[in-house]
Amino acid sequence: MIEITDLRKEFILSKQQRKELNTTEDKAIAVDGVSLTCQPGRIFSLLGPNGAGKTTTLRMISTIFKPTSGSINICGIDALKDPQEARRKMGFLTGATGLYARLTPNEIIKYFADLYSIPKEVYEPRKEKLYDLLDMHDFQSKRIGKLSTGMKQKVSICRTMIHDPEVVIFDEPTSGLDVITAENIIQLIRDCKDQGKTVIFSSHIMSEVDLLCDELAIVHKGQLKYNGPMSDFRQNMEASNLTEEFIRIVQR
Amino acid sequence: MIFTIFKKELIDTLRDKRTMRTMLLIPLLVFPITLTLFVNVSSSFEKKASEEKLKIGVWGDLGAKYWNQLEEMPDGLGKKELQNFEDSAALKRAIEQGEIQLGLIVPKNEAELAQTKKTISLTWLFDASEVGRQERAESYMNYISDKAESARLEELGVDAEKLHPLVPVFQNCASDKKMIGQLAGGILPYIFIAFGFIGCMYPAIDLFTGEKERGTIETLLTTPVSRWQILVGKMMVVVTSGMLAASCALLGLFVSIEFLDIVDNKEILDIVHGILTPSFIIAMFSLLFPLVVFFAGAMIPIAVYAKSFKEAQSIITPLNFVMVLPAMIGFFPGIELNAMTAAIPVVNIVLSTKELISGTLSVGYYCISLGIMLLLATLSVIVSYRQFGNEARILN
Repeated sequence: MIEITDLRKEFILSKQQRKELNTTEDKAIAVDGVSLTCQPGRIFSLLGPNGAGKTTTLRMISTIFKPTSGSINICGIDALKDPQEARRKMGFLTGATGLYARLTPNEIIKYFADLYSIPKEVYEPRKEKLYDLLDMHDFQSKRIGKLSTGMKQKVSICRTMIHDPEVVIFDEPTSGLDVITAENIIQLIRDCKDQGKTVIFSSHIMSEVDLLCDELAIVHKGQLKYNGPMSDFRQNMEASNLTEEFIRIVQR
Repeated sequence: MIFTIFKKELIDTLRDKRTMRTMLLIPLLVFPITLTLFVNVSSSFEKKASEEKLKIGVWGDLGAKYWNQLEEMPDGLGKKELQNFEDSAALKRAIEQGEIQLGLIVPKNEAELAQTKKTISLTWLFDASEVGRQERAESYMNYISDKAESARLEELGVDAEKLHPLVPVFQNCASDKKMIGQLAGGILPYIFIAFGFIGCMYPAIDLFTGEKERGTIETLLTTPVSRWQILVGKMMVVVTSGMLAASCALLGLFVSIEFLDIVDNKEILDIVHGILTPSFIIAMFSLLFPLVVFFAGAMIPIAVYAKSFKEAQSIITPLNFVMVLPAMIGFFPGIELNAMTAAIPVVNIVLSTKELISGTLSVGYYCISLGIMLLLATLSVIVSYRQFGNEARILN
């Protein structure tokens, strides 16, 4: 479970950044008072246009960024007080996730298993199960640099799931992927839901959100514009389709 | 956790061909190749110059006396062929055009000067851009001059010893070890500093800027490993790489001296063997280790700040000159290790190593040098940690 209360993130702007953004403000507010709750066994979608603050929110949840104010609770752990313990509960995957090109899938999976301190007796069967599921046996010893995009994505999925996280965070997970490769990710998100994990994913594609999500939050300019069940969103929409309704809410 | 990160980063680094080239291959081969080339080329030039049969032009009838002396001269002083010239301008032109290699001009009043027992100036023409010409002229001249001096002394009935009441004898009291330390001691730390820096550079950029560029750092930061553990694990690889590059360069130099006959003087070789004791190597590495940590600590904040490999490289490369320039101070004579120079980073390492080779390093100055470098290394680690923890910098 993820519980976020009144989350705010400010970035201090350098002189060059102020020039680039054409502003005299000395700081930029990326996330402004966001509160939301993601339940286990439900898929929570963070929808918003580019630069809305989705990635910053997810980076704060995954403790890469420290919030300026607010609180984050991951499975009962205060992520601000004990970020390392909170990270043990989380898996993180983005569409832009890179892998170490000079290592093999076996080496990468073992590396991350070691970083999560997974005992050998737990690691071996879990790895085999994931390799079976993702059909990774054939290329497990090849260097990442020699794998196709689809194979790399499978390695990324395996890396994300090797410690069997309770919470899985997907930051625009299908961004830049072809339809077949993206399907692997969509299947993974569904599997996570079936396993009772807490899933939060960000996207700017309404059709993808419509396909997967149970709970929806629309973010624009760092603020929440909508937060509620997807079924309610569909039921109460004023525009003729989901995309138009999304645009209407954002422009409101 | 630190070891897990260190192990992974080391494997990753060792599989990078670019890093392997700068870390192991180039440092290991640079001295054997360059020194072998240098020694072979210079010795072949010297041999060619000494064995070359020179054409010597002698001007006018006045030169007849010297013509005979030159002909009598043993071939051990260099083979020659004599040629007569009618005027000095033709002699000069022939040298310029490479038809002859040396020209001898005898003054017109030579007979008068000889008669009145005055000094006779013999002019030798040569092309200084050709190796060994002046040396050959000097050896011929010495032969002729010695003969003329003996003949004149005999004519005057003077004993040669009576003309030289005082003869200086200079005796060097410095040990050979000290001499080598002071004259060539600067080169060891210079090599270590130059290659240590290059060895650190690529891994530092690859492990920090490279991770940002490839998008792998974000995932790493979501693991339950603290930032300082990630930093230390990565930094250990950068330092290892720098130490390896520098050690390989020194090993290459040692192999060149030991097995490639670069030094043909057995006494010097024995002194070098006497210097390279385990305690010397430990003491030298104890000075150089904090220096390499400092290099790594100076590069990491830049690598974290840079958005691309190219940007990092363009900032770090000029830094190389800033770091290596003080190392050149070690080559200047007269600059010695004292309380002030021991407090100047990099310079203190060069001077301490020189003193270490000479066997004259004082414990006090060693401690000051080591302390300064440790302090600097610690500061650079702190700066690296702060930069690595900077949210605005760590991700692109």
